[in-house]
Amino acid sequence: MSIKPTLETPGLMANTVNEGPVSGVMTALTAAATFLAIFSVILFLGFLLFIGGSWLLEAQTVITAGGVEERYNWQVLFSGESELSVTGGIFPAIVGTVVVTLLMAVIVAPLGIVVAVYLTEYASDGWSTQLLRIGVQNLAAIPSIIYGVFGLAFFVYVIGGRVDALFFESNLPDPTFGAPGLLWASLTLAILTLPTVIVATEEGLSRLPATLREGSRALGATRVETVLYVVIPAATPSILTGVILAVARAAGEVAPLMLVGVVKYAPSLPIGLEAPFIHLEQKFMHLGFFVYDLTMHAPAGDGRLGIVAAAGLLLVAVIVTLNIVALLLRMSLRRRYVQTGLD
Amino acid sequence: MMEEKSGSLGARQHISTRFAEELEAIKNSLLEMGGKTESQIRLATEALLSGAGDTAEEAVQMDRDINQMEVEIDDQCARIIARRQPAAFDLRLIISIAKVTTDLERIGDEASKVAQMALKSTVRLPVRVAENHTTALATHVSNMLRRALDAFARLSVDAAVRVMLANKDSMEDYDAGMQLLEAAIRDNPATLKSCMDQIWALRSLDRIGDHASNIAEQIVYLVTGSDVRHMDEATLLNLLDVSTDS
Amino acid sequence: MDHREALIAASSHRVRQGGYAPGIEVNGLSLTYPDEPNALVDINLSIPGGEVTAVIGPSGCGKSTLLRCFNRMNDMLEGCRYSGSIMLHDLNILDPATDVTALRRRVGMVFQRPNPFPMSIYDNVAYGPRIGGVRRRRDLDEIVENSLRLAALWDEVKDGLGRNAAILSLGQQQRLVIARAIAVRPEVLLMDEPASSLDPISTLRIEELIYELKQSYTIVIVTHNMQQAARVSDRTAFLNQGQVIEYDVTDKIFTNPSEPATEDYITGRYG
Repeated sequence: MSIKPTLETPGLMANTVNEGPVSGVMTALTAAATFLAIFSVILFLGFLLFIGGSWLLEAQTVITAGGVEERYNWQVLFSGESELSVTGGIFPAIVGTVVVTLLMAVIVAPLGIVVAVYLTEYASDGWSTQLLRIGVQNLAAIPSIIYGVFGLAFFVYVIGGRVDALFFESNLPDPTFGAPGLLWASLTLAILTLPTVIVATEEGLSRLPATLREGSRALGATRVETVLYVVIPAATPSILTGVILAVARAAGEVAPLMLVGVVKYAPSLPIGLEAPFIHLEQKFMHLGFFVYDLTMHAPAGDGRLGIVAAAGLLLVAVIVTLNIVALLLRMSLRRRYVQTGLD
Repeated sequence: MMEEKSGSLGARQHISTRFAEELEAIKNSLLEMGGKTESQIRLATEALLSGAGDTAEEAVQMDRDINQMEVEIDDQCARIIARRQPAAFDLRLIISIAKVTTDLERIGDEASKVAQMALKSTVRLPVRVAENHTTALATHVSNMLRRALDAFARLSVDAAVRVMLANKDSMEDYDAGMQLLEAAIRDNPATLKSCMDQIWALRSLDRIGDHASNIAEQIVYLVTGSDVRHMDEATLLNLLDVSTDS
Repeated sequence: MDHREALIAASSHRVRQGGYAPGIEVNGLSLTYPDEPNALVDINLSIPGGEVTAVIGPSGCGKSTLLRCFNRMNDMLEGCRYSGSIMLHDLNILDPATDVTALRRRVGMVFQRPNPFPMSIYDNVAYGPRIGGVRRRRDLDEIVENSLRLAALWDEVKDGLGRNAAILSLGQQQRLVIARAIAVRPEVLLMDEPASSLDPISTLRIEELIYELKQSYTIVIVTHNMQQAARVSDRTAFLNQGQVIEYDVTDKIFTNPSEPATEDYITGRYG
């Protein structure tokens, strides 16, 4: 193969020439790190899939009114007909997780956009803006349980108490919004993920070429019209990226939710087919808490690890599904922008 | 002001040195062609007056070189226009050079004609009429050409205008020579052929003066950007005054 | 006739032929930025209506800044101060009381890089009229078609007006942007190096378009490309260090400029 070197592109040749011993070490290190990362992901997913999956597909004998039946574990898990499912099965927990996450997304997206638009489009580039920006970025570093405490103190007691006093006086002393519930949980998660959305949106906005805004302004559009009709639509993919990251983080959070709305067992779903469709004040169940609860309280024995892994698998599945939906949405939007270089 | 302008152009360098070199080269080619034309005139006149056949031959031969130079310079002009898109002074320079080569080539033709007359006269011309006038006219027009080329080299409007004004002076020798030749023919019709040849030579020399004047016009256009062709003398004098004042 | 009707009527070819293209009178315009105290110095220009005026000069000479005075785009920059007056017919563009959004409907602008909005071809062209209050689909259809026709793009896009503008080539995008600018029926079109990011053929198309458009618009074009200025413009202003060095008919500037500095610049000599 003496002809091979001549077939190589000049760029490749140059690369080979420029690579010194240091870059060789770097290449080896990054390759090793990548391998480790991929390996741990495979290990983790493999554990969940193998243990959880096999547990789900196992059959067990269930005594029902009609006699003795063979049921698969996944049927049991969803139906809530076993001693470990006094909670009503896993289904309400899945619903609770999805609802609280989506509600969080609905709240955090406009909030994050408004703040990001203010920071990039309106705020002057002074030290106060910088301070605000640094503050926002550092919010992401606060442990999530602190958000839970904040949510309980501020949303539940301060805001919720006010709301009860103003609108639900008749129910007092029983709290309506003055107790942990879906709305406060969503709001707490929204505050928790707000920095993520702001940073991603800001990034997207600042990447838009100035001529896009100028083009709109030059046509006689005001600043508000420009932001609403050109800037935000153009930054939608970035905004969605932020929302995806927010969803990914929020769906996995358990700690703060334990303080502001999640319970081990909720007698009814937080959503329904009849008006008002969504019960913002209700407590709800959550997969993350379900996993925690099972880990702590499931009957010891062979099945224990299996059921925990199965619940964990479902939690991961829910998060992945939510992310895939958002990703698809973003991809369909991105296809429209990619060629203008607006991304 | 004009002098100052041309001076400043000389001092400032093109950012593209290759373009500057091309312009310099084409200018030099033109001056070289002019020099060649000048010596051709000298040789032709010498031949006419002395009747030396080899000198005349040499002058006729030179015309071929001059024609060749015209083609080459025109070609260079076209290349520069196509590749450099010259503007302002550079544009005028290229246009002037293209036009000046035409005049030089015509001068070459006329000089060649004079030389051919000399060849003929070697055969049948013992009669020399208006010799002084022919000499004077030849000296005058080759002077004009030399000064025109000099004006081109120095981008001097003043010198160019003086060349244009000098064209008028050649009329005296031309007219006087013609009168003498006419009289000679009238006195002795047998000399008709010989005199006619001398008339043609005079005419050719006069035409050389006209071409030299055209060259001078191009120099004024090159430096000032204004077209001075077909201008009356007063306007020309005015131009002269302006340029001498500054 | 309200503004909406005027827009529709004006976008039709019939009205366009007699288009009113006013001149622009710049008097004593000076402009400063915090870090550039002499961005523009005492500019005086009389830009005739219905002609193409080119502004040339080295980078940073202030030619784009000058152009952006005509539609007050400099207002968007912090710390920009200006004095003097720019009269568009009887409107002083620089008057603080001037309604900037209304002004920008009269003075359109085309930028260096094509900047179509991330929306459909149709919506791009309809953007200005919609902002201006045109809502009826039929009216918008008419404006969009007329503008695209005038920008010599209609035949290329008429079968896919709903497609995203991003799929167009750069040259097409620039013509789309021109269509978008003329959809609000301005009187003046400002072009800031409109062909500098285009290939030679697209550039020629834009130049041809400029020639067509000058029948109905006063056009001011900033360009780095001197041959382009020579090709498209009727008049040329040479700017250097914030000052107008020479302003004359283009033929004069490119064959026999009066100022040595202009001569040096257009012939490519060290200034």
